[in-house]
Amino acid sequence: MRDDLKVGVFLCECGGNIADIVDLDKVREELDVEFIGQFENLCSLNGRKIIRDAIFDHDLDRVVVAACSPISHEKTFQDYVKPLNPYLMDMANIREQCSWVHSDKEKATHKAITLINASIEKVKQSDAVDPIYCQTPDEVAVIGGGIAGMNAALSLAKQGTKVTLIEQSPSIGGHMAKIGKVFSPVKIAEECGMCLLNPILNELVWNENIEVLTNTKVIEAERRAGTYNLILEKSPRYVDTEKCIACGKCAEACEVEVPNDWNDNLSMRKAIYRPFGQSYPESYVIDMDNCTKCSNCVKVCTMRAIKLRGKPERIPLQVGSIVVATGHKLFDMEKRPEYGYTRYDDVITQSELGRITGVNGPTKGKLLKSNGEVPKRVVMIQCVGSRDEKPDGHKYCSKICCTVALKNANIIKHKYPDTDVLICYTDIRTPGMFEKYYKHTQENEVRFLRGRPGEVVKKGDNFIVRTEDTLKGEFVEIEADMVVLSTAMEPSDGTREIADILNVGVTEDGFIKESHPKIKPIATDVQGIFVCGTAHDPKDITDSIMQATAAAAKVNEYNYGGVEIEPFIAEIDTEKCIVCGECIERCKYKSMSVQNDQIYIDPMSCTGCGKCLNGCKQRAITVNGNIDEKIMSTINGVLSKKQEGERMILVFLDNIGYTAADNIGVNRLSYPESIHIIKVISVNRVRPRHIRYALENGADGVFIGEFPGDLMYDEVERKIQRAKDRIAEMGHNPERIAFSKVYIPYFSGLARKFNDFDEKIAELDSSK
Amino acid sequence: MSSHQKITDSPIDFAVEIINDVKNSKEEGVLKCVQCGMCTSTCPAARHSDYNPREIIERVLDGDETILKDDNIWNCFYCYTCHSVCPVGNSVCEVNQILKQIAIENGIGYEKLYEYMGFADSYFTAAIGAIPEIFFTDIDRDVPGWWDFRQHLDEIRQELELDPPLMPSEEVIDEVSKILTITGFKAKIEKIRASQEAENEERS
Repeated sequence: MRDDLKVGVFLCECGGNIADIVDLDKVREELDVEFIGQFENLCSLNGRKIIRDAIFDHDLDRVVVAACSPISHEKTFQDYVKPLNPYLMDMANIREQCSWVHSDKEKATHKAITLINASIEKVKQSDAVDPIYCQTPDEVAVIGGGIAGMNAALSLAKQGTKVTLIEQSPSIGGHMAKIGKVFSPVKIAEECGMCLLNPILNELVWNENIEVLTNTKVIEAERRAGTYNLILEKSPRYVDTEKCIACGKCAEACEVEVPNDWNDNLSMRKAIYRPFGQSYPESYVIDMDNCTKCSNCVKVCTMRAIKLRGKPERIPLQVGSIVVATGHKLFDMEKRPEYGYTRYDDVITQSELGRITGVNGPTKGKLLKSNGEVPKRVVMIQCVGSRDEKPDGHKYCSKICCTVALKNANIIKHKYPDTDVLICYTDIRTPGMFEKYYKHTQENEVRFLRGRPGEVVKKGDNFIVRTEDTLKGEFVEIEADMVVLSTAMEPSDGTREIADILNVGVTEDGFIKESHPKIKPIATDVQGIFVCGTAHDPKDITDSIMQATAAAAKVNEYNYGGVEIEPFIAEIDTEKCIVCGECIERCKYKSMSVQNDQIYIDPMSCTGCGKCLNGCKQRAITVNGNIDEKIMSTINGVLSKKQEGERMILVFLDNIGYTAADNIGVNRLSYPESIHIIKVISVNRVRPRHIRYALENGADGVFIGEFPGDLMYDEVERKIQRAKDRIAEMGHNPERIAFSKVYIPYFSGLARKFNDFDEKIAELDSSK
Repeated sequence: MSSHQKITDSPIDFAVEIINDVKNSKEEGVLKCVQCGMCTSTCPAARHSDYNPREIIERVLDGDETILKDDNIWNCFYCYTCHSVCPVGNSVCEVNQILKQIAIENGIGYEKLYEYMGFADSYFTAAIGAIPEIFFTDIDRDVPGWWDFRQHLDEIRQELELDPPLMPSEEVIDEVSKILTITGFKAKIEKIRASQEAENEERS
């Protein structure tokens, strides 16, 4: 009998944080348990001895710690109750959810007694269970072979981790390989991008821990207990990289000419080509969309490296963690026809200017217009597609375009001092050391005009850039013979695709979202998947490298530490299970799959929401931890302390809602004493029968909060609506049930909702 | 020019009054203006006069109510280009309409409106807005061939096999006139006309 269990209660004064409001002497008198003690600071190191001694002296089976929030100290006290199983301890939150939100001592004391009693009743339902430890495989997939992916891969490899670097284009190198010169944060200089990239590329190629897969994409991903099973698709290159010596005879023989995308289509290349001089693998590749299969290349290839037939190859890859470094693309200028990009050859982007001024570019580094002349005046337009709330625009600042414009303006000024360069800007954003570079650019006679041009039109041989000089308050028409647009950075197609495939969250702008913007800028909302570079948000090369190396460190932390998982997840009784697959269909978290003819539940992704239970006709699934019984006992524990005339509202929240509720206390806001918060593993586990039971046994209202980002949100919302309907049929007032969105940052909103709901219930009670 | 801002001044109130006007559809657009000047760079009125849409918002945000008396606000003709290009989703065009309305309520700008009385009259005579005759000479000067085109509109339409333009019936005209009278539009027009004619007489 569970009633025979010996429960010990440990009351923490928390300095005066609890004891100043809650009368702990009264609490001790009111509760009937095997042992009850009061201590100044239970979380301090001697708390361990106090608790352990009491467990031995009084032969305790269960422990309730009445102190702060489990969010702060559950781990501490799970450790302090050793040798008792950690899950035989429960915390009653009488600080964040009592002494910090209430000021009336008498009411706060009664509330503390109620909360502790609920914990006592709950902990009696607990069984000893062990946390699940998952050790993830060490292998890592880095997706994207630009500067971020290359650095992440290299850093991991140097720390001894096996890495597969997956790049969808025929060469690694990314945008950095083509931008020509790069700016430096401290040095007032433009340096050769390729010269900086090459050593990294070489080091990576020679590192035995790295396998580079080019022409390869991730097309499927599936997660099992910390292991990702990826399916890669490698497109044929039609040139054997082992045999090809990159002599270039094949390209000479090829008669098909197409625009060279690596040069932003400013020059032509053959259908068999090498993307750029330092590309890796050092091998040619055939662009099969444009190849006529004339076989000229095959005939001239002395190495017999070319095969015109080939099929995409599927490659399975098993890894423990993934670094997403899929990068960005540039704003599509067709969306801003007012600047004439698609109509005029000499309206170009900063990226194209980078190719034109690059010594390996279409003009071998000479700044020339389409007619072969050096421009007399170059006007640069900033914020094209950035800081732009118009349709298709981006609200954010792309962060690097100011410095990119300064760099390209300086490069022009160094080589062509007679060419006038004018930058039209809204704000020049050169934070930190880049401010010095801005000043240097001004000294270099680059001119600046504060105004955002509205349009570029052609007039005779020249362009007219129409803008306002906002500092003078004057409308101006500027003649120019070259216009350069600083286009926004936006998530690459690959970034959008991989977010879908891996099921990681993205921001409203489509970038991969970090799990916390301030303190967890590298982890994503999926355990074991990390992000770096411009797949995360607009940033420069330096920042991309910093984030990439940080991602490598985070991967190794994860590999080294393993993952500890709470055991309250679904379990299959294989005797009863007929592998009908109904649960697989139902699971929103994609935790269930068939393996070796049995249903397998991935403990990493299962939340214990219990949705699978409904679909299982065989009743073969259980969710560990007596969740139903615990909820019922907690409800009883609260309601049994109800006093004459007292209003009691039960609030069910999962980890997110509970954290929001804690924040109300942390920020010392208040809500009525009637609010009693019950923490559940998943809001979906609160069943209609719990709600009905509560309302029939003294609860005046039931409030259920759910984070809209939870995959089960819609489901829970519908379920609560059905519960309301059923409650109404049974003659209760459905208005006594509330369902609400909760967000961690909007704790003040939650406090207001508690107050409003309490008022509403009070009205219902008085009208009764 | 220097100005002194007292601790009790609240320059933002003017902008808030305009934002809260029923005519404003852009919510917080006014407050998000960064003075980039894109509106001015595309504004036809700015190209041909001293009207500057960027400066309109600048002065509104400064709480500079003298803008209501600025002749330049009457140069905007509601082409809505500023409205469609603004990167922060603001609409100077709407702000301008609100400013003019406040001006009119304060008895400002009657002489500007007087020139357009013909528009108002055409609602009573035809139930549609028509270009007042006093502008014909100007339009013909700015748009060569316009007068000729207008004179031969019926023949041109016939040539193009188009029906004659649909005009509101007498019944509709009666109804519209009634509505304009009951809602006070007519009284307002008469007030403007009377005040300007009195002023003209005084001058002559």
